[in-house]
Amino acid sequence: MSIWGLPFPQDISTNGHLIDALIQYIDLVLVIFFGIVVAALVFFIIRYRSRPGHSAVYDKGNKIGNVIFAICMGLLVFCSIDAVIEHMSFRDLKDVFWNFPQGKNVLKIEVMPQQFAWNVRYAGPDGEFATADDIVAPLSQMHVPEGVPVVVQLSSFDVVHSFYVPQIRIKQDVIPGMVTTTWFQLTKTGKFEIACSALCGNGHYKMRGMLTSESKEEFDKWLAEQATPASSGDDIWGDTSSGSSVPKNWGWKWQAKS
Amino acid sequence: MSQKKESFLSKYVFSTDHKTIGKQYLFFGMFFLLWGGLQAMILRWQIAYPETTIPIVGHLMFPDTNGALTPDTYNQVLTMHGTVMLFWAVTPLLSGAFANFIIPLQIGAADMAFPFVNMLSFWIFFLSGVILLLSHYGPGGSAASGWTAYPPLSTPVGGIPGWGQALWALSLVLMGTAVIMGALNYITTIIRLRAKGMNYLRMPLTVWGLFLSSILNAIFVPIIAAGLIFLLLDNVLGTQFFVAGPKATIAGGDPLLYQHVFWLFGHPEVYILILPVWGIVSDLLSTFSRKPAFGYHVTVICMCIVTTLSGLVWGHHMYVAGMSPLLGKSFMFLTLLISLPTSIFFLNWLGTMWRGSLRFETPMLFAMSVVFVFGLGGLTGLYMGTITSDMYLHDSMFLVGHFHYTLAASVLMSSFAATYYWFPKMFGRKMNPLLGKIHFWVTFLALNYVFFTMLTVGYAGQHRRLFDPSAYDFIKPLMGLNRNISTFAFILGGVQILFLFNFFYSMFKGEKAGRNPWEAATLEWTVDYPVPHGNFSTPPVVKCGPHEYSNPKVKGKDWASQTEEIPA
Repeated sequence: MSIWGLPFPQDISTNGHLIDALIQYIDLVLVIFFGIVVAALVFFIIRYRSRPGHSAVYDKGNKIGNVIFAICMGLLVFCSIDAVIEHMSFRDLKDVFWNFPQGKNVLKIEVMPQQFAWNVRYAGPDGEFATADDIVAPLSQMHVPEGVPVVVQLSSFDVVHSFYVPQIRIKQDVIPGMVTTTWFQLTKTGKFEIACSALCGNGHYKMRGMLTSESKEEFDKWLAEQATPASSGDDIWGDTSSGSSVPKNWGWKWQAKS
Repeated sequence: MSQKKESFLSKYVFSTDHKTIGKQYLFFGMFFLLWGGLQAMILRWQIAYPETTIPIVGHLMFPDTNGALTPDTYNQVLTMHGTVMLFWAVTPLLSGAFANFIIPLQIGAADMAFPFVNMLSFWIFFLSGVILLLSHYGPGGSAASGWTAYPPLSTPVGGIPGWGQALWALSLVLMGTAVIMGALNYITTIIRLRAKGMNYLRMPLTVWGLFLSSILNAIFVPIIAAGLIFLLLDNVLGTQFFVAGPKATIAGGDPLLYQHVFWLFGHPEVYILILPVWGIVSDLLSTFSRKPAFGYHVTVICMCIVTTLSGLVWGHHMYVAGMSPLLGKSFMFLTLLISLPTSIFFLNWLGTMWRGSLRFETPMLFAMSVVFVFGLGGLTGLYMGTITSDMYLHDSMFLVGHFHYTLAASVLMSSFAATYYWFPKMFGRKMNPLLGKIHFWVTFLALNYVFFTMLTVGYAGQHRRLFDPSAYDFIKPLMGLNRNISTFAFILGGVQILFLFNFFYSMFKGEKAGRNPWEAATLEWTVDYPVPHGNFSTPPVVKCGPHEYSNPKVKGKDWASQTEEIPA
């Protein structure tokens, strides 16, 4: 439950709680400050309503004391809200969301959305993208192992899309002509929906993908199964509604990120 | 000037009188407000009862699909709802109707600095609206890429056929031309034509709001106009300024360039609309609290600071578009900085009512409701302005709720306040107070249910612009709330009929209002209805500030007009 009447979706990631905590802090200060505003409004309406025998006090509120009070209140708002959430957000960005994990145990995935599906690509045995042994998942299917950091690089085939999984609390726009990056690490297994959250055409509302979170063993087994059909030469991109298909060799060299 | 004989055409159609042009803008804006509102109802119908025949207007508007929406017509209606509401409803109401009607009267001028340009500006605006409306009937229907029209979706590469997008861009360029002409007119009028004694710090806050809003219009509308001309070229001449990636056939285009250009205008646009609101609400709260606007000077300074900052924060619309961390942090800092001046003048609103003598006339109810809805709209901006919370809430229904609280709720409630307030000066009669109060309460309650529940479903994860949200399993449990939103949206739409009835009935049959029905202090209330072409028979001389209410030195009444000398 929250002040908005409904709770967040389930959190299946190691980092989602950081975003939840920030949002809940803003919830708290919103309740306090908006509560003060509403209480003041109600009090003024009752106490200062126009009635016989009551008249307004001539006060322009331009005395030095009024000005200092107003500035102090502004600074109070700034320090208790803005400074805190800026600090939390900067910290989380620096430590987590813009600090892309490196190293051997990191799973790298390339995603190229098109109208209205998700193409997902794994590096294959050589660990390099845009090579012959890349593994391409069935359309709109993304499998990841639980407990492993996953770095996803995205670039769009046609228009702007946005990669969104509510349970991970992440949206990342996907722009044609450039590569954007996001990362996450899952704490639960199961099937979760991938949504496109940027209007991308008539099929936007059903541009749905499936994220399968599974154990490392199941994932390795699944990936090995995909290796064969992807290199068979069949055009598996033919069933999309946009009319033009993503070419089979759509991957790009992994982009180094600081 | 007022004695000159005028024909019907020159008096009512091609008039150069700012008051007539103001009324023309008012009717024009109200027409498009209804049009945009109808589109909102259609969208809500689709969400609540997907792919069923829309009652009343369905067969008329969508004859090919048995009166129901399809994904392509849904996107068209969605795009037109946003575009029409922002640029053809709210803009002509604030920057057209009220700016025209109020500025010369409140600063004591005979007319605008450039009356002919003023007239031309309205008719260009009118033409742009006609083109936009007709685009609905052109090949392929109207534009369908959202009011933001992000390329490449809004270019031929996006796969949406027809003329809609090109006509959309063309009509917006025309509309921008009209707005720039209006803005230059208002700025010149305020700088050059203030009455004797009307120095800048004696101007009503409404004029300050419109002044700052016009400055932003004059600076930032040319930027979006340039961007839209490039978009138009992409659509009609096959250039690819904003196309990149595998579908591009010409190198060098950049979709993000459009986003930067769009929001470099788009964020100041928010303040273009909200600054007049702040001004109107500040003045009305003062008038109906019978008390000077609290901290007038500080409010003016805060509005100027917000105006300055508004041009430096556009990047917060693009946090998840792959922005560099340095830029992201800078934009976030500048964005949150705006809360400092905003909270100070918000406090001044409360200060104005504190120890006042509050008269709950209809305009006051609407003005006070702005304090409520803008408070909520402003505070929900914190979630959107902070990068990590925006990662989750970006493009969600929470965002939709947030900007409807700031733009739809605040702007419309203050436009209603302004309409009820200045109606006697426009038409010589008062609007019916009982109908006005019923209109207020139903609007206020329905509007809050609609926009608050949008925040709720967004918080729970629902993203926006979905033809059928139940396509996603995680949204299925939220469909009940979505249907409730629709129900209250229909109530909200329906009660506006009451407003329209009140408006037109009162125009002819309303209680006759005297010169100054609200006992207000500003200059427009010193002239009798009908105010002649040329406004003041003798140029007014201003002797005090705009909010001399309950001054103990003034005997016999609780207000002093700006033309009165306050006894020492």
